[in-house]
Amino acid sequence: MAEEYKTAGDAEHQHNEPHVIPLSYYFGVFGVLVVGTILTYFVATIDLDGIFPGANTLVALLIAFFKMACVVLIFMHVRWSSRLIWLTAIAGFFWLAIMFAFTMQDYLTRSAGVFTG
Amino acid sequence: MQNAEAINVGNIKEEPKVSYLTNGFTIKSWLLTKDHKRIAILYLITVSAFFALGGTYASLIRLELLTPQSDLLQSATYNKTFTQHGIIMVFFFLIPSIPAILGNFLIPIMIGAKDLAFPKINLLSWYFYMAGGGLTLFALLQGGVDTGWTFYTPYSTTFSNSYVMAVGLGIFINGFSSILTGLNFIVTVHTMRAPGMTWFRLPLFVWAHYATSLVMILGTPVIAITILLLALERLAKIGIFDPAIGGDPILFQHLFWFYSHPAVYIMILPGMGVISELISNFSRKKIFGYEFIAFSSIAIAVFGFLVWGHHMFVSGQSIYAGLVFSFLTMVVAIPSAIKVFNWAATLYKGQISYDTPMLYALFFIGLFLIGGLTGLFLGSMGLTVHLTDTYFIVAHFHYVMVGGQVLAYLGGLHYWWSKITGKMYSEFWSKIAAIIIFVGFNLTFFPQFILGYLGMPRRYASYPPEFQVLNIFSTAGASILAIGLIIPLIYLTYSIFFGAKAPANPWLLPGLEWRTSSPPPTENFEETPIVTWEAYEFGEESGLDLEDARNKYKVTV
Amino acid sequence: MATHADTLHDQHYHPPGLQHQFEDMGQQQESASIGMWMFLVQEIMFFGGLFTVYLVFRSKYPMAFAAGSNHLDAFWGGLNTLVLIVSSLTMALAVRSAQLGKRNAQVIFIVVTMIFGTVFLGVKAIEYTAKYKEGIVPVAGLNMKTAKTASTYPNARELSTRTGDTQDPRESLNTGVSEADTHETGEHSYYNPTGTFVWTDASLATQAEQGGYLTESEKIGYYSNGELNVNKFRDKVRIFFWIYFVMTGLHALHMIIGLGVMAWLLWKAWMGTYSAQYYSPVEMSGLYWHFVDIVWIFLFPLLYLLGRHFLHGGGH
Repeated sequence: MAEEYKTAGDAEHQHNEPHVIPLSYYFGVFGVLVVGTILTYFVATIDLDGIFPGANTLVALLIAFFKMACVVLIFMHVRWSSRLIWLTAIAGFFWLAIMFAFTMQDYLTRSAGVFTG
Repeated sequence: MQNAEAINVGNIKEEPKVSYLTNGFTIKSWLLTKDHKRIAILYLITVSAFFALGGTYASLIRLELLTPQSDLLQSATYNKTFTQHGIIMVFFFLIPSIPAILGNFLIPIMIGAKDLAFPKINLLSWYFYMAGGGLTLFALLQGGVDTGWTFYTPYSTTFSNSYVMAVGLGIFINGFSSILTGLNFIVTVHTMRAPGMTWFRLPLFVWAHYATSLVMILGTPVIAITILLLALERLAKIGIFDPAIGGDPILFQHLFWFYSHPAVYIMILPGMGVISELISNFSRKKIFGYEFIAFSSIAIAVFGFLVWGHHMFVSGQSIYAGLVFSFLTMVVAIPSAIKVFNWAATLYKGQISYDTPMLYALFFIGLFLIGGLTGLFLGSMGLTVHLTDTYFIVAHFHYVMVGGQVLAYLGGLHYWWSKITGKMYSEFWSKIAAIIIFVGFNLTFFPQFILGYLGMPRRYASYPPEFQVLNIFSTAGASILAIGLIIPLIYLTYSIFFGAKAPANPWLLPGLEWRTSSPPPTENFEETPIVTWEAYEFGEESGLDLEDARNKYKVTV
Repeated sequence: MATHADTLHDQHYHPPGLQHQFEDMGQQQESASIGMWMFLVQEIMFFGGLFTVYLVFRSKYPMAFAAGSNHLDAFWGGLNTLVLIVSSLTMALAVRSAQLGKRNAQVIFIVVTMIFGTVFLGVKAIEYTAKYKEGIVPVAGLNMKTAKTASTYPNARELSTRTGDTQDPRESLNTGVSEADTHETGEHSYYNPTGTFVWTDASLATQAEQGGYLTESEKIGYYSNGELNVNKFRDKVRIFFWIYFVMTGLHALHMIIGLGVMAWLLWKAWMGTYSAQYYSPVEMSGLYWHFVDIVWIFLFPLLYLLGRHFLHGGGH
């Protein structure tokens, strides 16, 4: 029955050597974040809404998401974390999306012509 | 109830000298404890006190509704009464009840751990509960709040002169209690399981609490920010919920119900976990469809976040959104139905014994069925227009919350009473109480379905005289229910001082919690258990001599 | 007696920082990590409620939001973003130093993180004070109360670059403005005896109406009897500033709490508590700090930059 024994907890126990990331990763992310911030600022001054309404906002959010991803994956070590941590981080944003989407489905359809013509 | 001579099964060699109850007698050893079992007892006492207070408000409501006129209470006072009944029962009784008492006590034992992952945070949870409850009580004594437990704007932000901010702050603080408990449970189940305790050997009680904890963590912060916005709106009068300046009162409802609908799943999922335990163990049969029940708990937790708009069908929300929410409401009923079918299948050809916990479980199935089905009626948009804001809704949610959760709570409390206190209660009185509760409950709330269908609105102190007869039935039922709920208080308290000493495993069951003494030592187990049997294993693989024990198992009253 | 006997735990050596409910550091570290991420998930939902409010009102009244946003100083906002990014870097390096057991490096990085965090709060104080002086704090009575005197605007630079802006937006409708007031000198008349929220510039609404891109809510919300009603527009701009203050205020509160956590961490690091065997508290504090940074990464473009393209000859 010894084979059935599992050590407590899901994941293998961490060996006592911490996972140290090379300095270049940190400074690389820092550079990306700074560039991203400056980019966000200047793109915001250009009018992109001629392409389609809301383009400015979309670009700003895409840059922000990219910056967030860098912080989450590298600074917060999620890239080297267990699947549970990945799932937790994703779940947080997924639930946020539920809150946004299901609330906005009300507001966006209040004067919708589907039933009122 | 069983043989007085404890049949010693399992790994228990002898009674330990010190249990968690006798491990320190000072006030400090209780108020600064890190032992999850002592924290559960702290919750038991305070949650019961709130239940009594909420029940007092309920009595006032039913007394007022004996007559069509608003004679016992003025309308303004009646508004405060039902509001406070709702707030206390929802936030300070139902949401904490099973998780904070039974969950706290049992989860570490059921998984074979010494304690939860974060014992100090567990204690902090209780202090948040006390702080929030204390502040709310203080506000109630100052004059209370009259907005309904739902705090709808613009009444709550602009017009109500009652203690909205104080009570809101109390609920806000209490929310942290919920969040920290949920956080603790999730981490514990992930990292603290004993060797051999795989996910699919976990008792379904643990799965149910895991699902509940997901809801607590994802939902409670939203009510926190909602209450914060409500309080700020009362202070600053910006008008984000005021249509006169371009705000939207429906926005408040969206934010409020985003939490408060999943909150009802916080209020029922732990109860379902208890029922799974009771049905299987008192049929002495492995639960039917273990994985289905386990995953249905998770499904309820997830889908429960997608249906909140069914509280807002007639509020002014768009019809399209209403359609989506209505459809998803039908979908969310499916996992609950799966559970009910699996429980029924477990009972089939089981060796059923009608001990008090089993009575509560059987009552639960019937009453939850009614409550759940009426929820489906309310989820269909055509019917809901007729039934909204009537007593049909009141009856529906009382069937699931009282007929469901409260009965499950009582069943669980009786089931694990011997484990928690080390004493046996009187089986005779407990059965009497269970039956009185069942009769009283149905007499109270079934007439309310009819009243609602006939059109009696809720939250009114007075009503048209033609509704009086049914209201009298309802109040009579409430009186019986009240008596039924007081009786356990008496015999359970009596048992603590004068009850027979409980053996470790009075019903001879395979669960891990029955393999340590009653009451357990502070560290739960003398040695870390190594789990080699499946959940609800009534065969020889469980390692207990159950065949032999079953012969000696007798029911005595 | 509670024995500590544990069949899998042979040695009696307790690593530093191991709490009694855990069997080994690995279990403790994993628990701490999952626990902190659960806490961050609930923080996401907490801020998420505010983002929902923002989303709803911005989609209803985009022009009012753009007008209000253009009056925030993107320079300070951008500076604060960079400040937080640097503090995130130094925090991550503090965690790395703890992993490597370098006590002095840890302490230095934590101190630098705290300095930048304080700078962030200082900049916010500057911004909030400016709002107070300009009469755009949304709560009545919380703005600077002045009789009819001149006062200098700290953000005159921003105002003078606005196109299509012929009237000082902070003038109340019933004020008399001296002809000598000019944008270039930065001297303006500001008359606000009761400290209410003052807003008079509805030019973006006019621009949107001419361009044909007002939303349904805006067509009702800004107009009375077919005429543009500046007071109604002002009410929506006030909602924007309310959301601005609540969101950045809540964020700042989290920064303050973060600084408190850092202070505790600093003391422990100074005492040499953390090493390769036990650095989890540094890492968990880092997670919290990075989360606060991420919230700001979203707040900056959504609050400060949403209407900039209207300023530079933009529109649909």
